[in-house]
Amino acid sequence: MNVLITSAASATAQIIADALNGPHSLRLTDLLSSASGDIVGNELGHGSETDELVSGIDAIVNIGYEGQAGSATHLMDYHMRRMYNLLQAASDAGVKRFVNISTLRLYEDHEENLVVTEKWRTDPPAEDTVLLAAHMTEYVCKEFARDRLIQVVNLRLGWPFVDSNAAESSDSAAISHELIGAAVAETLVSEGLGQWQDVHVQSPVEHQRFITNTAAKLLPGIAERLTS
Amino acid sequence: MKILILGGNGMLGPWAVSAMKERHDILLTDINEPRVDYQGEYLKLSADDVDGVVKAAKGMDVIVNLSVLRPDRQLAFDVNTLGNFAMMTAAREHRIKRVITTGPHYQMAGQQYEEWDFDLNPDMPPAPGTRLYAHTKALGQEVCRVFSKRHGIQVITLLYYNMKHSWNLGGPEAPVVPHQDMVPYSTAWQDCGTAVQAAVEVPEERLATRCETFFVLPDLPHGKFNNEKTKRVLGWQPRYHVEGLWNKDFRTPPDNLREAF
Repeated sequence: MNVLITSAASATAQIIADALNGPHSLRLTDLLSSASGDIVGNELGHGSETDELVSGIDAIVNIGYEGQAGSATHLMDYHMRRMYNLLQAASDAGVKRFVNISTLRLYEDHEENLVVTEKWRTDPPAEDTVLLAAHMTEYVCKEFARDRLIQVVNLRLGWPFVDSNAAESSDSAAISHELIGAAVAETLVSEGLGQWQDVHVQSPVEHQRFITNTAAKLLPGIAERLTS
Repeated sequence: MKILILGGNGMLGPWAVSAMKERHDILLTDINEPRVDYQGEYLKLSADDVDGVVKAAKGMDVIVNLSVLRPDRQLAFDVNTLGNFAMMTAAREHRIKRVITTGPHYQMAGQQYEEWDFDLNPDMPPAPGTRLYAHTKALGQEVCRVFSKRHGIQVITLLYYNMKHSWNLGGPEAPVVPHQDMVPYSTAWQDCGTAVQAAVEVPEERLATRCETFFVLPDLPHGKFNNEKTKRVLGWQPRYHVEGLWNKDFRTPPDNLREAF
């Protein structure tokens, strides 16, 4: 499968690229200011350059949270306008699946004793532009799915990312690098996903904050990893 | 009250200014110069200039965002979406309690509603879809909602569809064809302006939540869009009903007695 990964210079993208490299043919992209080496620079504008970027691509893994850094205006612009451009180009090119990497931090203000699932509305804080921008990317994605222009899987990942055994983490929403990679890989090939599909993923840890039953059901290849 | 108007020199701005100029102190801003007959304060300012909007909003009681740009993708996002981000940032910075934002009906009632359903009302969940104008305006409204929830800023969103001149019923689509029906959400420009005034002046206790949306249209017989909330909550009463478009009778029958008996 030909897979495009956005914000490829980010730490999250690198974790995912490491997991997908080999089984899939990867095209890595980021804004010109961040592109180097194998990463193709692209501003995700509304011109032909974005059309060319997605040409021949089967699926896109979009870093919708913490893929970019900069001013509040830049983040809002990137996560709305440039996402719109990318999704429009992808839809026009017939890309089958768009995997948006979001975050369970959108529920951070919910009390920990609540059984928060995909059925709960997110509650982004206005004062944290990074989270607000992630929320706005979800909004853009959902409308493209609603118009049935492209299938979108919205993967909300736990935090923090840990590269060791997540079970040893004291963070109740932690997720391991290994599980991140496996979840994205499974999302690319899984059948039975909806036109718009929220999926919550975190590692099994003590006092686990978010339940992951939907992930276990829809992404059976990682079901065992979701139980301690 | 002291009112900052963003994008005030477009189509709607003059009507809003006309409705409010004798009642409030207005600072009009836009990237375009005002009409030559405008008498009042004016500042050249783009709605997406966050720092500029924050600066202009100092000392204001209300911000009204009338800015809109449709065809160009970059400009549409800059103005329709980031414009509201700038407005809400300014409201937070200066603890401004109320903002008014405007947009098209389909930033809420997108094609999936409009082509299927009747009695559409402004409390439905937004479903704008991906059309550029609707989408960018809907994103702007969502930014407002998030800020409103977090900072208690009162957000009033006025949604319009088809604006008409009261004197000849002319509007965006030309030529005017009387008695042949029209967009079932058509509003005279004067009434569009008085709706802004009503939103500025409505007492806080009449608003059920911190984030309220209103469909601005007169009583129309189609039953497609519902204006009940706008009249009840804002106390807005349209003066014009564009009946020359949806009624087969002329407004003034020759004998002046038709249907009298």
